[in-house]
Amino acid sequence: MTFAERMLKIDRRIIFLVIGLCTLIPLLYPVGLPIKISPEVRGVYDHIESLPEGSVFLLSLDFDPASKPELMPQSISLLRHAFRKKLRVIALTLWVSGTGMADQVVTQVAREMGKESGKDYVFLGWSPGGTAVIINMGQDLYGAFPADYNGKPTKGLSVLQGVASLRDVNYAVSLGAGNPGVEAWYVFGKDKYKFELGGGCTGVMAPGLYPLLRSGQINGLIGGLRGAAEYEILIDQKGKAVAGMDAQSATHLAIIVLVVLCNLFYFASRNIARRQSQSGA
Amino acid sequence: MIFLRRQGPLLVTLITGLVFAAQYYVPHPASEQMLTSVTKWLQIIGGFALVLGVSSLFHVHAAKIRRKEAGWGYSFVLYVGMLGTIALGFWSNGKEAIDGTMTAFGWIYNYMMVPLQGTMFAILAFFIASAAYRSFRARSREAAVLLIAAVIVMMGRVPLGEYLIPISGDLSQWILNVLNASVRRAILIGVSLGTVALSIKIIFGMERSYLGGGKE
Amino acid sequence: MPIETIIGGWVATGLTLFIFSFLYKDNPLFKLAENLYVGVSVGYTIIKTYDTVVVQLIWKPIVENGEWTLLIPVAIGMLMLTRYVPKAAWISRYAFAFIVGVGSGLAIPRTISSFILKQIEDTVRPLLTLIPGEGVTFTWSLLNPASSVNTIIILIGVSSVLFYFFFSVEHRGPGKVVARTGIMFLMIAFGAAFGYTVMARMSLLIGRLTDLIEFTDPSYGRPSLWLAGLTILTLVVMARRSRSHPPEEK
Repeated sequence: MTFAERMLKIDRRIIFLVIGLCTLIPLLYPVGLPIKISPEVRGVYDHIESLPEGSVFLLSLDFDPASKPELMPQSISLLRHAFRKKLRVIALTLWVSGTGMADQVVTQVAREMGKESGKDYVFLGWSPGGTAVIINMGQDLYGAFPADYNGKPTKGLSVLQGVASLRDVNYAVSLGAGNPGVEAWYVFGKDKYKFELGGGCTGVMAPGLYPLLRSGQINGLIGGLRGAAEYEILIDQKGKAVAGMDAQSATHLAIIVLVVLCNLFYFASRNIARRQSQSGA
Repeated sequence: MIFLRRQGPLLVTLITGLVFAAQYYVPHPASEQMLTSVTKWLQIIGGFALVLGVSSLFHVHAAKIRRKEAGWGYSFVLYVGMLGTIALGFWSNGKEAIDGTMTAFGWIYNYMMVPLQGTMFAILAFFIASAAYRSFRARSREAAVLLIAAVIVMMGRVPLGEYLIPISGDLSQWILNVLNASVRRAILIGVSLGTVALSIKIIFGMERSYLGGGKE
Repeated sequence: MPIETIIGGWVATGLTLFIFSFLYKDNPLFKLAENLYVGVSVGYTIIKTYDTVVVQLIWKPIVENGEWTLLIPVAIGMLMLTRYVPKAAWISRYAFAFIVGVGSGLAIPRTISSFILKQIEDTVRPLLTLIPGEGVTFTWSLLNPASSVNTIIILIGVSSVLFYFFFSVEHRGPGKVVARTGIMFLMIAFGAAFGYTVMARMSLLIGRLTDLIEFTDPSYGRPSLWLAGLTILTLVVMARRSRSHPPEEK
């Protein structure tokens, strides 16, 4: 077996170790490389900036613990931005296993910004039905969520004054890790109830949402940890996303090096095999 | 009786399908009221569907424990985890936190469910790296194009990549916004046409697999 | 720091390391954590469904507001559960027929409007831009996704990929050129998707390692370090044991 062939059959645990170290070392010793802001992330930021005080901002945290590292920093930044702009925040989740995290992030950021539940914001919790919940909220918000997460009746909450359905929402952002997520909020929400919609999503979902971005069906897109890091920079409050970008850089570079090496070894072993077969013939 | 078992459900699908497709184009107050009521019903039915979905696990693992099949101990752990969570859930009134204070149910969620699910997916990072090393080879022109696009996007989406090759940022933006968007758009149109066709087939009874089990 | 937080830190770290131990090889620690995960997730879903559906959406509206019509979806939901009674399982078909019928009906017009018409509309945009005072212009900027040149590229991309998908006959002559263009566009998009998937997966790992680093803090009692050592030790002992007592082949 040639060197190249041996390298192609290397124990995968060595690759695991390389990836583990490439993630761990930059987290322990960050460098802090500059991060450029993309127009798609700026789209969401600029729209929230343009909203007048007291506007209704709906944040749907449509993800579960599997996507926490990507979408939690996005949630924190968006909530901080919305609270700073004194918007009225309505938060909810369409993913059952994300309920606890959604409650935690909304409560924590609200507490940090000195906001009061029921007056400045409301967390509606989770409801099954996925797309049916979106349509029902578009028809009658209080029917879809008769009570908030804490069991308090939604009717009469001062934060919801003048809000009967999704038609009264000024801006909605869905942070989606799959279905139901950004696409569902467009198809079953914005298409009929005509509110402005922005999106945030995991890296896996991001490329699939560009057609909606191009057609203006969503006015901005925060994609993955990189998008979250850009948003943290835009609101000038760096958090876990910016902290993770050095590790992200290192792992990407490691994978590129692995791909290049694998191709070098592949071509080397192919050339040797070809030469051997020629000399054999 | 055969009508009730076979044609009855198909008739229900036909009527509800046609009514709710037409509803979109008829914004009359009565039709809107019907949409409001039925979507609320779907929320409630969705809850039952969820329980139905997870309950099949009860049977599978209960049988494993009863018969003491290989690995029944793990099924027992599963049961303990499930029943423990349910018990603490009832004790905490189904809430992870009450007025910002974590309940026992919230503790299970935060310190067991979140790290477990998070790590389950985090280990994929290692496997994607290993797969990239083992199979990401430029065997053909198409594979080479795929590989180059992947490398550009990987470089362009991280600060180090943009720092080492400044053009990679703009290049990956162009790939995502134009080339990728056009393909994704074609896929979206194709999949949507498929969805519409499937929905029509369901409504008119040409596709019945959703009716599933039960004797005819 | 409250004691429940410290214990939580130890439990979360231990379970995280148990799952990571799979990277070495499949082992009982991983299986234990995996089954616990399934159990806890199912328990969690059941409790949330009970609290949200039974208490908030059914019980309270009926008892407090007299919304008796909500018994209709309850009845439909109960019909679904007949699936567990073999003789009456056919009744559950009515529930599925209702859900699927309504779902299909709701999906058709919305999908056509949102994804077919809107996407086609944005693809067939004017290639030239009318700028007041300057007349009709063709914009060449690649960085502006709405420029004329990008509009042409998007049009070519969408049409060639759709051609490739829908005309599955043997591609010859001009058809072959179009189909090959479609394939190239597809390859680029798959490459971009792979790049983004790598980013997503690495982010998840970064998230977990960030938590493990947090749990090396002395205020928690450094569970990450202690439990990492313990997990490695357990794996070594297990490996030795299986070497000295190899499993019998059946």
